[in-house]
Amino acid sequence: MIQKKVCMVGVYGTGKTSLVERYVHSIFSAKYHSTVGVKIDRKLVPIGDTTVNLLLWDIEGRSSKQDIPVSYLRGAHAVFFVVDGTRRETLEQLFDLARLTRSATGDVPSIVALNKADLRDQWVLAAADTKRLLAGGLHALNTSAKTGDGVEDAFLWLAKATLDASLAPDSQAKVSHED
Amino acid sequence: MVRATNEDHFAIMTIQKSVRLLATNLQDTTLLDGMGGPEVHIFVVADGIGGTAGGKVASGVAVRSVVEYLAEAVNCVQDFDIDREQIFLDILSTAVWRGHERLKKMFPAQGGPATTLTMTTLVWPRAYIIHAGDSRGYFLRKGALRQFTRDQTMGDDLVDRDAVTEQQARRAGWYNVLSSEVGGCLLPSVGLIDLAEGDTLLLCTDGLTKHVPDDRIAALLAAGSAESAAQSLIDAALEAGGHDNVTAVVARATRAT
Repeated sequence: MIQKKVCMVGVYGTGKTSLVERYVHSIFSAKYHSTVGVKIDRKLVPIGDTTVNLLLWDIEGRSSKQDIPVSYLRGAHAVFFVVDGTRRETLEQLFDLARLTRSATGDVPSIVALNKADLRDQWVLAAADTKRLLAGGLHALNTSAKTGDGVEDAFLWLAKATLDASLAPDSQAKVSHED
Repeated sequence: MVRATNEDHFAIMTIQKSVRLLATNLQDTTLLDGMGGPEVHIFVVADGIGGTAGGKVASGVAVRSVVEYLAEAVNCVQDFDIDREQIFLDILSTAVWRGHERLKKMFPAQGGPATTLTMTTLVWPRAYIIHAGDSRGYFLRKGALRQFTRDQTMGDDLVDRDAVTEQQARRAGWYNVLSSEVGGCLLPSVGLIDLAEGDTLLLCTDGLTKHVPDDRIAALLAAGSAESAAQSLIDAALEAGGHDNVTAVVARATRAT
């Protein structure tokens, strides 16, 4: 089994905790609870002959003017960014967050969940935004923690990417704990 | 009215591996640099349920199991390394699970005595949290009180899932039924926060939070020493008509002198 630390990063209220709860516990809470500090969950993901033990660090969302404590990002093998597709500012702020995060984690596999895809009438993102993310090296996917759409796919994509990264010849320096 | 039997238990521990220079006439004391080692402070509160006698046994077994397991694993705890903190967290979780398994063995029938348990392990500045039930953890920073645990009750779960309203849950007594407990159905939440100098940490049982509102807790925590704040909180709960057991563990982060 390979253990991988994944940091959930995004502005407050984008749905980081809801995505983890949907993925790990198959539940959705309509009531908003802000995370204090970091909440840690785990999920075993079988990929081929290997099982990846994803340690999901759900980091407290910040306003645009607050930085994420870099110490929370230390040792991350992957980053799961979350944007609220009904709030454009959460996408604009993501670029700053991504720069800050990468300065702490290095170039680790990352994905952007464009969340709340069930709220179609309030959706403000376009295909050009996805292209812009891709140009910045960020793979993006529409998700809905409420309906579950895209959630499994997003986490599975990231789990595979971390596995591929650890199998790459130049990954020796990246520490991952193997049981 | 104060209960004759106390169903709450708590523990406060410090684990340290260090060499401290108390006095010397040596000119160069740099040889002791790096020999301080991390100090690990552990705070636990537990509130037993399942009848007066059963609840007392359950919280006692859970807290004793944590103390015993961490004493056994003391070398692992002393060797704390931030880069291997998941292993450290696993040790802390195992300590809680051990109490759970012990209670399950003692009371195999479903619905036997169980307990809440909230444990915070501080390796400055990081506080690791393992939590089950409706005891609570808070920290006070610059006058603002933040709760870092979420109550694990059927009421909270059902309201979260929009299955019932808060009023319906209250009326049906769902807030008094735990959805996660040591000795019952254990689904502990695990997390961490980084504390800052001047922060005050509070772990408490619901005997406090059912009777004293957050703003009053914040005011009492801010006044006086950690010890006097703990006593003031307990007094406030009793004055407010609290008839449940009340436990409050208060710790303040101050610069060592």
